[in-house]
Parts: sequence; structure tokens; C-alpha cells
Amino acid sequence: MTKDSRPKILVITTSHSSYPGANAVGQARLAYDSNTYIIRVPDPVMFPEEFYIKALTNGIAGIIIMSSGSDCPYEGAYPRLAARIQSTYTKMKALNMNINRLKITTICTVCTESFLKEIANMEKVVAA
Amino acid sequence: MSLLNTVESAEPKKIAVYVCHCGGNISDIIDVKKVAQTLSQYPQVSIATEYAFMCSSNGQDMVINDITNQGVNRVVIAACSPALHETTFRNALKRAGLNIYLYEHVNIREQASWVHKQDKDGATHKAIALIKAGVEKIIRQDALDEIKIIANQRVAIVGGGIAGMRAALSCARAGLKVSLFEKRSTLGGNLNRESLIYPTNQTAQSVVDQLGSEVKNNPNIDLLLNAKIVSVNGFAGSFQINFIDLDSKEQTIGSGVIILATGFDHYKPYEGEYAYKTSPFIVTLPDFTKILDQSAQPKALLYEGKTIKNIAFIHCVGSRQMDGVDTPLEGKNLNEYCSRVCCTSAIFTINNLKIKYPNTGIFDIYSDMRTYGLEHESLYEKASKNDVLFIRRPLEERPQIEQRPDGTFNVTSTDVLSWNEQIEANVDMVVLVTGMVPSDISDLVDNMKLPRSTDGFLQEVHLKLRPVELANKGIYIAGTSQGPMDVIETLNAANTAGVKAVSLLSLPEILMDPFIAVVDDDKCTGCGLCISECSYDGALTMTDKIVNGKTKKVAQVNGALCVGCGACVAVCQPRAIQVAGWTLDQFEAMVDAIAKE
Amino acid sequence: MKSDLDKQTDVLIVGSGIAGLQSALDIADSGLNVTIIERSPSIGGKMISLSKVFPTLDCASCITTPKMAAVANHPRIKTMTYTEVNTIRKTADGFDVDVTQKPRFINEDECISCKKCEQACPVYVDDNFEYGLGVKKAISIPFTNAVPQLPVLEENHCIRCGACARVCPKDCIDYLQEPIPQTIKAKAVVAATGFEIASMGIKPEYQGETLTNVISSLQAERLLAPHGPYGKVLRPSDGKIPDSIAYVQCASSRDQSIGIPYCSRVCCMYAIKQAMLLAGALPLGEITIYYMDIRAFGKGYEQFYAQARSMGINFVKAKVAKISEDVDRNPIVRIDRQEEGSIPQDITHDLVVLSQGILPSRKDFFGLDITLNEFGFVQSNSPTYSPAKTNINGLFVAGVIKGPKDIPDTIMEAGSAAIDAINYIRENL
Repeated sequence: MTKDSRPKILVITTSHSSYPGANAVGQARLAYDSNTYIIRVPDPVMFPEEFYIKALTNGIAGIIIMSSGSDCPYEGAYPRLAARIQSTYTKMKALNMNINRLKITTICTVCTESFLKEIANMEKVVAA
Repeated sequence: MSLLNTVESAEPKKIAVYVCHCGGNISDIIDVKKVAQTLSQYPQVSIATEYAFMCSSNGQDMVINDITNQGVNRVVIAACSPALHETTFRNALKRAGLNIYLYEHVNIREQASWVHKQDKDGATHKAIALIKAGVEKIIRQDALDEIKIIANQRVAIVGGGIAGMRAALSCARAGLKVSLFEKRSTLGGNLNRESLIYPTNQTAQSVVDQLGSEVKNNPNIDLLLNAKIVSVNGFAGSFQINFIDLDSKEQTIGSGVIILATGFDHYKPYEGEYAYKTSPFIVTLPDFTKILDQSAQPKALLYEGKTIKNIAFIHCVGSRQMDGVDTPLEGKNLNEYCSRVCCTSAIFTINNLKIKYPNTGIFDIYSDMRTYGLEHESLYEKASKNDVLFIRRPLEERPQIEQRPDGTFNVTSTDVLSWNEQIEANVDMVVLVTGMVPSDISDLVDNMKLPRSTDGFLQEVHLKLRPVELANKGIYIAGTSQGPMDVIETLNAANTAGVKAVSLLSLPEILMDPFIAVVDDDKCTGCGLCISECSYDGALTMTDKIVNGKTKKVAQVNGALCVGCGACVAVCQPRAIQVAGWTLDQFEAMVDAIAKE
Repeated sequence: MKSDLDKQTDVLIVGSGIAGLQSALDIADSGLNVTIIERSPSIGGKMISLSKVFPTLDCASCITTPKMAAVANHPRIKTMTYTEVNTIRKTADGFDVDVTQKPRFINEDECISCKKCEQACPVYVDDNFEYGLGVKKAISIPFTNAVPQLPVLEENHCIRCGACARVCPKDCIDYLQEPIPQTIKAKAVVAATGFEIASMGIKPEYQGETLTNVISSLQAERLLAPHGPYGKVLRPSDGKIPDSIAYVQCASSRDQSIGIPYCSRVCCMYAIKQAMLLAGALPLGEITIYYMDIRAFGKGYEQFYAQARSMGINFVKAKVAKISEDVDRNPIVRIDRQEEGSIPQDITHDLVVLSQGILPSRKDFFGLDITLNEFGFVQSNSPTYSPAKTNINGLFVAGVIKGPKDIPDTIMEAGSAAIDAINYIRENL
């Protein structure tokens, strides 16, 4: 099979909220583009800045982090994650990267509309 | 050495990939043959195949057979969401004698075939990339041992309504200790009333009394009235419930399981909704039931000094609400759901009213009559014979209520049954047939991070596969905290929560996924950066350890306290600390595989 | 030779539909031994034959097959399929259950489920699993996901040609096999014998038995199922893809005239579900549901109904007076609309589905003096205390044996019967 020429979007979801949320989108038989790749983590707080930069350098066009936000089952994880994304932005700017390619948002288990909106927004960013 | 306390195996890795058709759910969109064919060419994959239903016995046997006879030691299954069948396949691995963590579940249904119906090639391509990522993850996966937790043989039940009492009795009879928490001073919740219930025609109180007296006399049940839950910590097998007791003292009780039986509230219309609160003669169904019970007048219902000759019942108040038709108060959601019990409840009440005051004129305004139960239809039949005038409104129209100068009301509605004629009923009283809303347990929901569905009730994992379980292991729901139910349905639901608690605690230990932080002492430099990232007291500490003959400072994880969030992982430059089963190396390899495809 | 231990169990469960399967799992997970008796050749009951299930639209197999597999592999559950329960007798310490294992005419221990016999067999018979829509061989494995994967030779249709015996690599075929009666001792019994769907002839005005393009709801399930008889939605008379499909609700429920006054609880929802699946399978098809009241009362059901309306499915409040057909065998439905005037109308469709109601599956209860209600379903003896209990101590009931209900409600009852059986044994034996 030939390589997909479309820009790829990586969606990082949490086991607790946004992964079930992404399932809910499927259960409702809603649709979004297939250049989106969902991976599941306990919490994205585990990723260092370099993880994002490496992915964005090595072939991923955009990353959406769908965190659990205030619903996060892990104490203190959300503020830490938010701070880490801020410092990732700083590093991205220093590397002359478009910071819109990395987006952090909150998606819950029933946020199907917001899920689709976030994907659509990122599609615009990566198409540009 | 390998990361983590894992079993190192010298065996070469032999990976099998299985692609499920899901009876067309996947294979109608994704070219499963092509996916399997492509994966069979991928490095380290020795078997790649597709099958109609991987979750069936045949499918599972195929996996087991490949493990036992082909020497497969890593398994990737591409199918539905892991939420549905991860356990199914783990059990299959267990039966084949393979470590259950040497299997990766790739979701190509909810997150591929179901969402890319219009793009079959794209969906197929995506499935290939995701499965390759799964292969990359499982290559880097080591066998792990489940964590064993000594299970506290006590069940904490929140809510002393009939669901809580029924669950308490079922658990206590099975030999478990039970702490039954009730915030009020009495048991029984919403059924603490004298009125009759359908279909048994007994008083609600008698149902409460029968369960209640048994609860009070059961030596295994500790009844905690006037108790307010403050917070809940811990995990399946070892929860701590912190609460304020009747003497306003803070207390803690440990339990292995929690059952939430927090019940419902009657929907309360806001001022002006169906003219509610504009007159004392606009009442809700629960109010009306009380008024009827308390009325001692011989011939006609007397209320607030007025003889009530004609009454209109309006169904679906606060239920089956529609966008653009109903206006909820600001900040409140539309209640789109049907409250299930109100149709029969209204009809039952009307029949009782007709027994007590046969001459009362009754208009019943509804849209669909949902008297679904075995005996409910005959109640409806009886009401029809009782000269109740049924007015069937169109689905998206609402009756209008207008108060006349003489204090009576004109209720107008289109009637489908009389060829869409406008019917005007002049009545002395209007009864709003209100439904159920979840009781306000927002403190508990916030504290325990409980999942709720769009209708606000607690959300089970799956209505059919795991109907009383929440995503957090060891927490079950019982009764109307989950959604509207009648008395019998509530008792069945409570018993089901009870049997799940009994099953979970049937062995002295509970097995948990070992997805917690682990430290590679060789790599750890003792910098201590991870400690300040950890939010859990005592979960991560620095300690002196002898490593390779030398004493050095290393980070140390307390397995009982670590929750596996991974906050420590991000700051560890040498990658000495990782979450078992979810390592950074695995994720980097997955992202690489996706990027390359 | 089977050991005597095989003939004793803690809980015996009659029936292996979703109620029996779930009860078995709940009881066995709690540490007791369970024996399931199933009269069909496979466990799974009616649910395994359904297409998808409301309101999640999961395929029914995806919910049922893992439970079947879990039961088949559970160390504390023994299943006896193709076995009839003859009598259940209450004894001092529980129940004696007389059962007869029917002959499959194969050696069950030796069979490797290779299907060679099925391929070789020259005789085609009606396939019960497809509700008469398809055919199978006189020796065959009952259906794709059957558990166990053992073929059954249908004695009445077999012509004793020997084709199967010649190809069987393990020499399993045994034309002389006899029924095996035995008695099993159980401490408690859970009865989960399910239901029957009302016969197509029950309402003569609808001519369900004579009109070819009037089918039952279970047949429609098979047309829509992933492994269905035709692999797509076709109408029986000419194999044409139907453009206009109608559902007749309450076709045998809420109808005093045929002696079924009660609501069957599931027909509104399964018709809506089937209509949605049809709308997906036949994008140009026009689907109409003739109904009295739409009873979408379960969790998420009202939203499901709203979704169906937004998909363009026609909901028409009307009673169907009779059904006939034209020369092309198109069914003609005479309706009395409740809306827009009262003149009866004749409307022609390509295919009509009768939303058949639910009837009790048995008239006798294995010789037990069990209390039934006026409709013939088993009566709980303490509905507002512990609903699974019956008038017979130690005998509990789960699912549709007690009255029509949907799958989520059935699963809740299964758990309820399970805990009652567990605690009964704990306290009494």
C-alpha cells in the first residue's frame, strides 16, 4: 500500500475520558476524516516536551491532546500537563514551528460534538 | 536487563495479528483481507489473519491454538473497542498459558470503520497504520504480573432507599459485612410514603418496612443514618469512605466494594412551566398522590377549601423534552429521556382517584401511553372504562393552561384521537405528571470522578455487557441512580449490583492491572526530579540502595499508592522511571509507525 | 463413563439464552458450580439470532458470543446442550432433575468440527435458525457461532445414504445413537426458559401465514443479520430488493380479540432498530411504522426514537385492519389512521413485517406446581421484596419466563436470580 500523502493528525486520548468519548463518536455513527490516528494513554502528563517535537518533526502534521481536564482522575496531573504544553510551545517557537500544530483540549466521555470540532479545526491547521 | 520487574524471556518474539470482521461492522468498510495481507509482510509478524467474529469461541480458539501449536507469544487483535472485549481476550491468553499483558487490542471499529463509512480506502489505510503501531507496542511489551490486593470483605452502600437496602441484604446474606450510609434519618428514600404502588397495590411504606426491618435485624449490616459522605479514596478491594456521622464527627470506614444507590428526585417544574406555582391548584403527581391520600372528604376531593370536580393530568412534564419546543431554565439541560414510570403511575393514581371519588371528571393529556409492563396495560384499560377522557396531543405540541377569573383553568390541546380537533377542558385542578431526575450527588460525582450520561444519571460501562459497573473497578450502581425504574426493576438492579459485589469479593484477593511506575535502578541517577512531580503522598520516595555492588540514591515506588498517572515519567531524562505497560519507548515507536505509513 | 460427580451440581439452570448465560456466570463467578441444560444444540438462545441490538446498535453476536465463550470455558460451569428437561422434583435437599440428552448421531468426544459431513450431505432441510428463510444440510453445525461446534444429524430427514460417514476423518457418525436419560441433583434451580414469538397465523386478518411478503420480526432480524440467509435484504416471493417496507406494530399484542391483552415491551424498539438498519441497507427505501403508542421507555431509548425520526423513517399513528396482496404479491395494508380523518386507506408496500408479540414458552413447568399469572408467565411470589423468587422454595426465575422484557432488563433479572440462588444455598443447605 502506498504511503498516505495526506497530513496526519495524532489524537492523544485518555483511558478515562476522551478515549470513551472517541468511541461515543463511533457509536453515534458520526464521521470525520481518516487521516486521524487515536492513541490511548492513562494520562498525557507522561509525555515530555521532546515527545511532541519529535513526532511533529518526524511526519505527524498536527497533535490534539484530548485531556480529561477537571475530570482527570489523577491528582495534579492537569495543571502539570498544561504547564508542560506551555513549555513545549516555547521550545516550538525557538525551533520556528507553528504552535497551532499542537493543541490541548478537554474531551469528556460524551463530548461528541466537541470532538468533531477539534478534529475539523486541526484539519484546517494541517491543510494550511 | 529489562525494564520493570518482569520475566525476561530469551525466546524470539513471535507475533500474531488477528483482524475481526465484526460480522460486517468492520469488514463492510475496511478491506480486512488486505489489512491481514499487509500485516503478514510486517517485520516480526509471523501470523496475520482475519475472521468473522474474533470474540466468539471459534475466534478465541484460533488464538489459543496459535499460541499452543505455533509458538505465538505476542498477540495483536484488531476489533472493537478494548472496553468491550479486552477481558475476553485476556482470558483466552490465560487459558493458553500466555501472560495476559502480551496482547494489544487495536480499535478499528468505533474509531475507524464506524466513523469513516464514506472513505473505505482511508479507513483501510488507517487500520493498517494503527495495527502496525499495535505491533510496535507489543514488541516492546514484557510479561507483567497482576497486582494482588487483599480485599476488604466489606461493602459500602451509599443510599438507604429500596435499592440500597436490597443490595445490603443480598450482600449481607452472602456473608459480607455491609456499611449502609443514608443521609436522612430514616430508610426508604422516595418510597417513604403511605400511598399505594403499582402493580401490587400495597403501600409504598410496606415495601420499605419489610426490607427495613430485615436490614435493621441483620447482624452483618451496620446502618449509618444521618451520615454524609465527604470523600472516597482508594481502589477496588481497599476503599476508604470518609463521612460525617450523626454526631457531626468525621469517621472513616474501609470497604472492598462501593455500591451507589443514590436514587432520584422528582422533577420539579420551575415557576411558570405549565403555570406551575401560579396557583395552588397546579400540582405535581407526587403532590397529588399525597393530597388524595390525605383527603377525608366523602364525595369529592376537597383541596384548599375548594371542591375538585374536574382534573386535567398532563404527561411528560420534565421528560421527553424537545429542542425548540420546551425551554429549560438557563443552565439546565433538556431532559430528552422518557422517565419510564410516569405513564403507569398517572394511570394508577387516576384509577385510585376514581375508586375514592368516582364522579371526578378526568382529562388525561398524553402523547404516547407507555403502560408497558405485563399488568400495566390492564390499568390503562380500566382507566378507559372509568370514563377518563384521553386527549392525545401531537408529539411536538404542548397543552396550554389559562386561569379563568373564577379560579378554574382552561386547558387546551390538539387531540389526535378526534382528528386534530382543539379540545378545551375546564378543570379545577391540573396535575403535572412529572418524571425522574437524578438526585443531586454532584459532590460525590466530583470527588469520585463518576461518569454521568448526557441525561445526568450515572453511566454504566455498557448497558448489556456490564450494566451495573462503572469504569472504576469495584464501584457498582444500583437502581434509579442509573436511570428511571419502577420498584420491581429497582430491586432487580440492586440484586445485580449485589451479585457483582459478592463475585468480586468471593476470593480474598483482587487482581489489578500492574500499570504503575517502575524504576530501572541502573538508569536512575538519583536526581530526584520525579519526586516533586508526584501528587500522591508516599507513592514515590528517594532511597539508598545497593546497585551493582555500590550504594546509590534511587527513586522507589510504593505499589499500593502509585496510581500510574505517569507525571514522573515526563521529567526523567534517562528514562529510568516508566509506567509499566505504557512506556515512552512504546509510544514513540507507535507514533513512528503511524507517521511512516 | 461419566462420573457421579457430573450428576450433582449447586445450581441447575434451565435455558441458555441471555438470561441463563448471565445467571450462570454470576453464580459461577461467586464460587458455586453450575450446570446448564439447553434443549437446542447450541447455547445462546434467541439473542444470538438477532442482528443488532437497540439502543447501542452493537451486533447481537458481539454481546452474546463472548458470554457464550465465557460460559463454555468457565471451570465451574458445565453445559449440556441438545438436552431436554423432563421433570423437576423437589426433594428434601434440593431438586432431582430428569433430563434426556438427545442423540446428535455423532461421537461428540471425537468430532473435530471440520464440517466435512455437512459438505458431503446431499439433503437440504429448512433452517430453523433462519426461521424458515434459508436451508441447511440434514447434518450440520447449527449456525456459525454455535457453541459447541458439533453437527446434528436430523433423523427425520436423513436418507441414510452414508455420505457423511464416508468422509468423516474421525469416524464419528453413529446412526444408531440412542437418547441418554439421566438424573441430576441440584441444590437450587434457576429457570430461564424464555419465550416464543406469537405465530404468524394468530391474527387471521393479517394473513401472516399465507402472504409470502409478510414476514415476522424474527425473520426480519435474520435478513439484517451479518450472516443472514441471503446476505442482504430481499423479499421472499421474487428476491426483489424492497423499496417500500412497512412495520405493523402490536400485530399480536395489546389485542383482546386474540387473547393477548398485554404489551410485549420490545416491539416498538426492535421495529425502530430494524427500520434504522434498513434505512442504512437500502438508502432509497421508504420505511413506515404503523403504531398505536411508541413505547421507548428504557435508558437512551427516547433519544434512539428521535434519531429514527430524524433519519426520515415514517411514523404513522394507525391501526392496521387487514392485509391482502395484489397480483404481484405486493402486500396491501388497510389502515385506520388516527390522524387526518377517519377514512380507511389501502396502502401497497413491497414487504410487510409483523411486529409479533411475546408468548410464554411453556404450558407445563416440568411437573412443578409453579404459580403462573393470568397470562401464563411465571408469577413472582414477592415482586417487591426479591422479584426472582417463586412459590417453590429454591426455584428462581429470570428473564422473559416472567413476562416480556428487553435484553437490559433481562440481564438485571439474571443477576437477581443469581444472588437469590447463591444465598438460598448458603442459608438452607
